[in-house]
Order: sequence, then C-alpha cells, then structure tokens
Amino acid sequence: MSNSDPRQVLSRLPEDEFFDREAELAELYSLATAGARTPDPGEQARGGQATEAMRGRRARNALVLGAPRVGKTELLRKTFDRLFGEGAQVVPFYYGLSEYSLDAERFARDYLSQFLAQLIAFRRDDARLIAAADEPLAAVSRAAAPEDYLWVRGVVDSFNRALQSGDIALLVRCALRAPAVAASRAQIQPFVMIDNFHLLSSGGQAIGGSTASRVNEIASLVELRAEFMRALSARDSLGGSGAGIETAPAYALCGLRRPMVELIPPDKELFDRLEMIRVEPMAPDTLERLIRLTAARLRVPITDSTTELMIQQLNHDLFYLRALLDHAASRRLSLKTFMEFERVYTEEVLGGRISHYLGAVLRDIAPDSRSRRAALEALGLVIEASSAVPIDAVIERMGEFASEAEALLARLHSSELLEISYGFVSPPADPVLADYVRAKYRTEIAGARRPVAGEQLLGEKLKHSYRLMMSRYNRAAEAQLIELLSRFDFQNAPASLFDYSVFDSRYRAMSRVQIRRSLEEEQERVRLPQIVMVNDAGATDYPGVSWRLFAASGFEGGIYSEANEALWLIALINSKEPLDVETLNRIDQRLESAARGTRESAAGASRVARWYISKEGFSAVAGERLSALRAYRSTYAQLDLLYDHLLKLASDEADRRPASEFELIIPIEDEAELIAARTVEQIARAADFDQEAINQIKTALIEACINAAEHSDSPDRRIYQRFALGDDRLIITVSNKGKAFAANDDDADAAVATASKGRRGRGLQIIRALMDEVRFERTDDGTRLVMTKFLKRPEDKLAGNI
Amino acid sequence: MRAVGIKAKMVEGAAVIYPGPYLNQLRGEDIEDQCQQLLAKGVRRLVINFEETELINSIGISILLGVIEIVNDAQGMLCLSNLSDTNRELFEMLGLLSHVRVEETEEGALAQMQSRVI
Repeated sequence: MSNSDPRQVLSRLPEDEFFDREAELAELYSLATAGARTPDPGEQARGGQATEAMRGRRARNALVLGAPRVGKTELLRKTFDRLFGEGAQVVPFYYGLSEYSLDAERFARDYLSQFLAQLIAFRRDDARLIAAADEPLAAVSRAAAPEDYLWVRGVVDSFNRALQSGDIALLVRCALRAPAVAASRAQIQPFVMIDNFHLLSSGGQAIGGSTASRVNEIASLVELRAEFMRALSARDSLGGSGAGIETAPAYALCGLRRPMVELIPPDKELFDRLEMIRVEPMAPDTLERLIRLTAARLRVPITDSTTELMIQQLNHDLFYLRALLDHAASRRLSLKTFMEFERVYTEEVLGGRISHYLGAVLRDIAPDSRSRRAALEALGLVIEASSAVPIDAVIERMGEFASEAEALLARLHSSELLEISYGFVSPPADPVLADYVRAKYRTEIAGARRPVAGEQLLGEKLKHSYRLMMSRYNRAAEAQLIELLSRFDFQNAPASLFDYSVFDSRYRAMSRVQIRRSLEEEQERVRLPQIVMVNDAGATDYPGVSWRLFAASGFEGGIYSEANEALWLIALINSKEPLDVETLNRIDQRLESAARGTRESAAGASRVARWYISKEGFSAVAGERLSALRAYRSTYAQLDLLYDHLLKLASDEADRRPASEFELIIPIEDEAELIAARTVEQIARAADFDQEAINQIKTALIEACINAAEHSDSPDRRIYQRFALGDDRLIITVSNKGKAFAANDDDADAAVATASKGRRGRGLQIIRALMDEVRFERTDDGTRLVMTKFLKRPEDKLAGNI
Repeated sequence: MRAVGIKAKMVEGAAVIYPGPYLNQLRGEDIEDQCQQLLAKGVRRLVINFEETELINSIGISILLGVIEIVNDAQGMLCLSNLSDTNRELFEMLGLLSHVRVEETEEGALAQMQSRVI
C-alpha cells in the first residue's frame, strides 16, 4: 500500500480546497497513532518526533468541538483518508450517527457492518469495499482478507448469537467491542471517529411519534450512551496482545459542541484520557484565499471589496460562502459590486440553498408547524432585541406552546440557533440566520405580503453593507489595540507615545524611521502595567465620529497585590476631525460609567489611568483639558509606533536567547558564593573571555550573591543562578525568593544610597562598574538581578564605566 | 568558619599580612583584629600583601577602609602590595587608593616604609 497517496476515500473536498486545518489534522493523526507500535516511514517524514512525544501521553480519546458548519466532519473524513492512504498499523473507522441509527438494534447492526466493511477495505487496500457495508453481515464478512476471515466470522457469529438472545445491551456491546477484538486479533490499532455524537443526547431529539416509541427511543439512547462511555473508559480489556499495541481503540467524538459536552459524565478517569480539539472558524486571510480559489474555479468574478464583504456578512461560514458562490456560478452572475452580491445573498436567504438548509435545521428541531411557529417567535424576539432576554419573556411570547417551550428552547440552544445562559436567552452570533428568521417571521407570522418586485431584505442589506465595511476598519483598529494591551507586560515605553502634543511638536517633520530611532533614545518613559483582562465597555456612533471604550485591568510594579491593581480606561475614537471638547465630554460621561461598572466588578483598582486614542488627534482645547486631567492621549500613528516598540522589545528578548545555559543553586551560607565564582569562571573561560573579564565577572557575581543573601528573607535559604551563553555575551541571572530587594533600577539605587552609609552598599556600584548591562526584575516571589557581560566590550563602554 | 587563619610575619619591625585567596567579611575582620593587636604592641608599619588574593568583596573593602582609618589614627603607616588589575580597579573605583599607598611588591612596600620616619 502506498504511504503518500492522498486518496480521497471519504472526504468531500479535494486537497487544494481543504484549507487551514493542518494543526487539527495533526492532532487527530497523532492521537490515532499514539498507541501504535512503531512510526511508519510516512509518519517519520511528517514529523515523527512530535508523534513520539504524544506517545507518552495519557489521552487516548478526543472531543472534536466547534461551531456548526465549521468543518468538523470534513476534518474527520480527511483524517480517515490520511490513515487509510498510509495503510500502516492504524485502521481508521468513521461512523456518522444518524436519527435512523438511534434505535439500539439498528445501531448495533449498522455500526458493526460499517466497521467490518471499512476494516476489510483497509486490510485489502481497496476503498471500494467500504460500500459493502450495505450488504448483510454474512456477505460483508466473506470479503475479509484470508488472514482475517476466521476472527471476522467469529465476531459476526457472536453478534448473531446476541441478536437471537434478544439482549439489546449485549448486542450493542458486541458491536462496540468489534474494534477492540480487531486490535487483539489482527495486531492493528483502530482509530474510531464518531460523528454526530450529540444525537445520543436525549435533549437533541425532536418531539414527535407516539409516546411508546418515544420511550423506546430514550431507552435505546440510554443504552447506547452507557455502552459508549464503557468503550471510552476501556483500557486493554482484552488483556493486551503482547506486541506493544493497545487493544482499547482510541476514539474521536464529534458533533454539536453544546450537547456533546453535556454528554460526558463527570468521571475523572474519563476526562484524564480525553483531549479537547477545538476547530475554530477560519482566519480572514485564509478565508480570502479560499474565496479567491473557489471563485476562480467557478469562474465567478469578484473584487477585493466584495470578498471582504462576503467574509464579514457571512460570518466566516464556509457553507454559506460556498452556497453564494455556487449560486452565482450556476446563473453566471458576477459578484463585483455590493448590489450584485446582495442580490445573490437575498435570493439565497429567501429561497436558495441557505434557505432550504436553515429550514431543514428548523424542521429537525421543531418538526410540526405549531412548534416551528413557536421557535420562530422565540428566535424573532431575541434577534430583534439583539441582547439577552429573560427566558420567561421568551416563553410567554411562544404562546400556547408554552408547556413544551423550555424543551424547544433547549433544542434551539443545542443547535446554536440561540443561547440560553442563567435564565436569559441571547440571539445567535450568526447574522445569516438572523436575516433568515426576520424574513421568515415577516411572511409566516406577521403575514406580510411579498413585494411584487424586489425584496425588503435587499434594501436592508445594501444599507448594512456600507456600514459593515466601515465598521471593519474600526474593528481592525480595535483588534490592534486589544493585541497591544495583551502585550503590556511591565515594559518601559517612550513617554511621548502617550502625549500627543509632545509627540507632535517633537516628531512632526520626521519620517517614521527617524521617529523610531529617536523614540529609542527618549529618556522619559511610561512604565506599562501588565494587563490581564480587557473588557469591552461599549461603543457609540454619531455622524462623523464613533468610539469604543475598553477597560483594561492588570497590575503595576510587578507585584500582584490589591495595592498594585491597575485599571486603564481607554477610548478609541474614529473621527474625521481632531477630537473636540464637546465629543470629549460625551466620551467622558460614558467612560465614567464604564469605570464605575468595572471598579465594582474588579474590586476597585487603586490606580486608574485614562487613555484617549483619537485617529485624527485632538483639538487644542481638548488637548489642554486632557493634559490638565493627566490623561494619556495618542493618535492611531502613536499606537502603531507603540506596537512596533513592544514588538522590538520582544524580538530583542528573543534574540538574546542563549546558545547554552547552566544553572546553579547555592545555599545562603558563608562563602557559598565562592562556588558560584568558580563555576562562572569555568563557563566564562570556555566562552573565551579573557582573564581580566573573568575576574570582573567573578567579582560581580560574588556581589550579586551577597546582595541576594543580605536583602531577602528567603524562605528556602537558597540563591538561584543561571548562566546563559550567547554568541557574544554571558548573561548571569541571580534570583532569590522572599522579600524583594528592589523593584527596579531606581529602587536599587535608592537602596544603595541608604546602605552605603554602613559597611555595605558598594555591591551594586561594583556590579554596575564591572558588568556591561545590569537590571533588576521583580518576579512573582522575589527578585532577579540580570547581569550581562559582552565578549568584546565596546571601547566607549570601558571608558564610561570607570 | 571563624578560624580563617590569616597569615602574617614581621620583617624588620614591620608587619606583613596576607589576606589569603578571598577577602570577605570573615577575613576582613580578622585582619582588622590583627592590625589592632599589632598597633597595640607598638608596630606602626603594616603591609598587606594581596598576591594570593584572587577575590575581594565589597564587605572586605569596607573593612579595609576601616583598617586604613585605624592605622592612620594610630599614626601608623599602611601599604598595600601585589594587587591584581581587577583588585586595583576595584580599590580605585571605591576610592581606597586616595587613602593608602600601593606598591607593586612586598619588598617595595617594605623599602618604602623603611625610608620614612613615623
């Protein structure tokens, strides 16, 4: 069997249209192969090391979680194809649960047939044999390879005996144990992928049928769930094969995430062996590539603007995107203007594939017209409210159906058509669904007549599309700000980046490169907090100006205490003109209420900073007002520069990563520092430092050790040292736990000034003189002194030190 | 760890003290004690030979400053000798060299002291 042939067996998308899922595919692949005996050559070529690392882990099963239509099923199918194509020790088995197979007996027969057909196809390297699953079990087993025939017959015979006994639990167990039997008998490792696993949740069942059949269904579900959980918990129940293969198969369970999670019982052992694989929506740039590729293949003309509009309006949903592009292709329509796009969109939502799909989803949840009407009422209410609505209000709106309303709402929640949380119902995050519901509500419930020509939705979407594209720019700025805040980590940033007037007067005529260089030389700095949480405090939109507020909480000074809690209230303002006082007043009012809300929830940060970021700067009066308030004020350009500055700091840090590192821990006791000095001497000599430099390093290290010993109440009485050798430098880090010696360099200098009155205090003076760079850092539980000695110290540095 | 054993010898009425490989608080205080005892016995010429002294820490230097003061107060004479470059750099940085005489060798230091009347 070929190792590299990317055959499409179960997957539906060709390789070049399967985008951006390599990480998830690799996760599933490594889970599948973790229990196998040896990596095959194909696996080694793709990164056998990673798989090797996975081999030691405990997790044997996975939940594949993601939003509806995000591509989970295709991911499982691609995993199947990859494993099938490799034909190594891991046998892939894909099983998609369906409403039909929820009857225990039907499930058992179908599951076993599918497993045996896929196994036989794999063993005989013939994908066509998978279709044999539709044949009777006896016929399926006859296709088995000669070496498998006996045990396959054995499995089928056992199944038939269980069937004759009428013991449904035994029958289901017999089917579910088939992969474990295969592992034991054929020396293979089955990887079982169950799709639509959420169907085993009784909450996911539609209401319908007679009471008796409903009772039978629930009994079957309970039986199936129990047997699945037993299979998931199994470990080598067949006693092992003695060949290093785990006989308990690995499982990947996939389906609607909300009911799926609720299906797993609170069993620590089970969770211990369970990995969560999250399938996130595609990133915009990947989606853009996919759209371009698909549009080119379908010969649908598109533009950059309509591509962006598609991504935004269709909420990154692959199904909707394909439906739109297919629609345009089948009618040879162009999607080059907003009008063209919105026309196709309207047709799709009102009567195309999207409409039929959403209709089918709704029918599945609410099979009869009465419950469907109630579902539309509920959805209509929360979508129009566009915020959380108390569940009682929603039930009341659902009218006479109220007795079964909660169950219906639970099913809508499971399918992610809305969200129920602590007594409130929130609208879906899916704007296409919202459009569908609005249109459906208008015609089905409000009884509006459809226009003779055109559609109301088309006009709405055209108005909306312009604003959507405008807000996209705002969202990009907001995303950049949030990312920037998440990088705040006690760094020192040039102060002019937070003072628009200083920045403007100092750098107005300079190029960006010149500004960057000058910023690095700025003496005045703003010490940033470490941000741990950013809250969206709301947005406001007036003609010509819009803003969004954020409340960022964190800590200052590197100590995690209440006294050091910090709150930054930030206004990100997009306007065509410099920010005027009138708008500033409005923003201030909102910021004040955001501050109150945040203070209440954040238990009151002691240090509050305000930061106004205005795209076009500030009017003179507004600038003076903010200056009097001691608020930070920046433009988007300053924001960009701050982002660059923090990135540079991070990359400088990364560049300093050492080639080799040594660690030493010494006790705090007399002359233990000599051991440190001897150690660093050997390291520095090996790195080609000359004797003079070695002596300087030793002396500085001795001082650092004495400082650490003298100035801390170290609970463990130890000093931790790390010696990191880079290409051109030796970085020595001396840390101790306990009382902090100095939070930063200023504190350290103050400590020196105080201490120098006594016998001590010259230590830091010596360290600074003998080393090239010295800095203090606060750690979570003490202090760290970082000293750097360059291998070839610049001449000016030498002159400046003494 | 108290008994560090500071070596010392008398050469023609002058005392030569050897701090050993590491001048720290322990050795510094021992040197301070020895100097006080020598001064009490009337010895006024003192040489501290750093030939074997590979490392000096800031506490050792602080104590050495105290020793310089004690000797000066007693109208004595102190000379340091055989300083390595790093030790000399340290002493210079911390201002010791403006208070005490430094000679290249022990012999030079002794000769220098013999030539001066106390």
